[in-house]
Amino acid sequence: MPTYRNKPLYWTVLALRVIVGAVFAYAGYLKLREPWALFAMGIDAYHIVPYRFLEPLARTLPVAEVAIGLWLMVGLWPRIPSTVISLLLMVFFAAMVHAKLAGQQIDCGCFGPGDPISKWTLLRDGSLLAASLVVTWFAFRRLPRTS
Amino acid sequence: MKLYAAMLMVLLPCLAAVPEIDKNKAQGSPTAPVRLEIFSDFTCPHCKHFHETFLPQLMKDYVISGKVYVVDRAFPLTGGGHEHSREAFAYAVAAARIGKYEQVADALYAQQATWALGGNVWAAVASALPSPEDQKKVQALAKDPGVMAEIEREYQYGASSGVNETPTIIVFVGGKHYNLPSAPDYRLLKSMIDAYVPK
Repeated sequence: MPTYRNKPLYWTVLALRVIVGAVFAYAGYLKLREPWALFAMGIDAYHIVPYRFLEPLARTLPVAEVAIGLWLMVGLWPRIPSTVISLLLMVFFAAMVHAKLAGQQIDCGCFGPGDPISKWTLLRDGSLLAASLVVTWFAFRRLPRTS
Repeated sequence: MKLYAAMLMVLLPCLAAVPEIDKNKAQGSPTAPVRLEIFSDFTCPHCKHFHETFLPQLMKDYVISGKVYVVDRAFPLTGGGHEHSREAFAYAVAAARIGKYEQVADALYAQQATWALGGNVWAAVASALPSPEDQKKVQALAKDPGVMAEIEREYQYGASSGVNETPTIIVFVGGKHYNLPSAPDYRLLKSMIDAYVPK
């Protein structure tokens, strides 16, 4: 088993990877517990997704979140899940910022119903995006090993 | 015992914050598996659309069959264009006390463009109450402090539940409740209800 020169960095990236994966999988699980239409209404509130795409998106996105979140936690070929999660989080974050700037008082939809967009949700999702970008960066840039 | 008393002290204000359901402002069976509390304002154009197109469909599909219980909640808006909102609610809640809420609400929405700007709220209310006796009762009840208190209680309940625009629906199902986005698409709402109440 290889050992890493910078152990604190290794453990930090590992912890971030597990946290980002777990949060992503948990967000998907919370949505799966409710009817898909409830999540679809949350997406519809942003007014950026055409109606015909709402049902497929609301049905598949939570499953994908759980699957990709678990995949990232497991750590197998981490480049794929970390990139997908980072891209998704960028889209989600951009949509939230757009809604906030447009003065829309809507739910974020991140963790199921009852989570209105606020400075707190932007900070939370922004932090998650930053963590995900760090994980993605280190997934592509192998940490230096001693053996 | 002390724990019970402490819990009661904490819970009592919460219970008091939720106003009782005025059955004259509700439609359907109180035992229905899904309850929709609709926070609306008689001066709001989206609420008029909701009342005249969305609600009849909901009644036909779910309320008559006892699957959904619909409760109207007062959420009077303030600011330009909403100056007569509380007066309209006073008449509507007064009408509810004599079992004429639906008729008055229908008339208020139908004639919204006239009274919301002109201010003659009573003309719209009176048009829904052919009986002079009912008109007198509603006019007297509208001045009742209890009626205004009921409107304020419902407004505060809505505000504390995160309602910040109208119409907003709060869904109560299986011990859970959550706010839906304002004016949701009916097809999506239908899919959601169908998931909770299989045919």
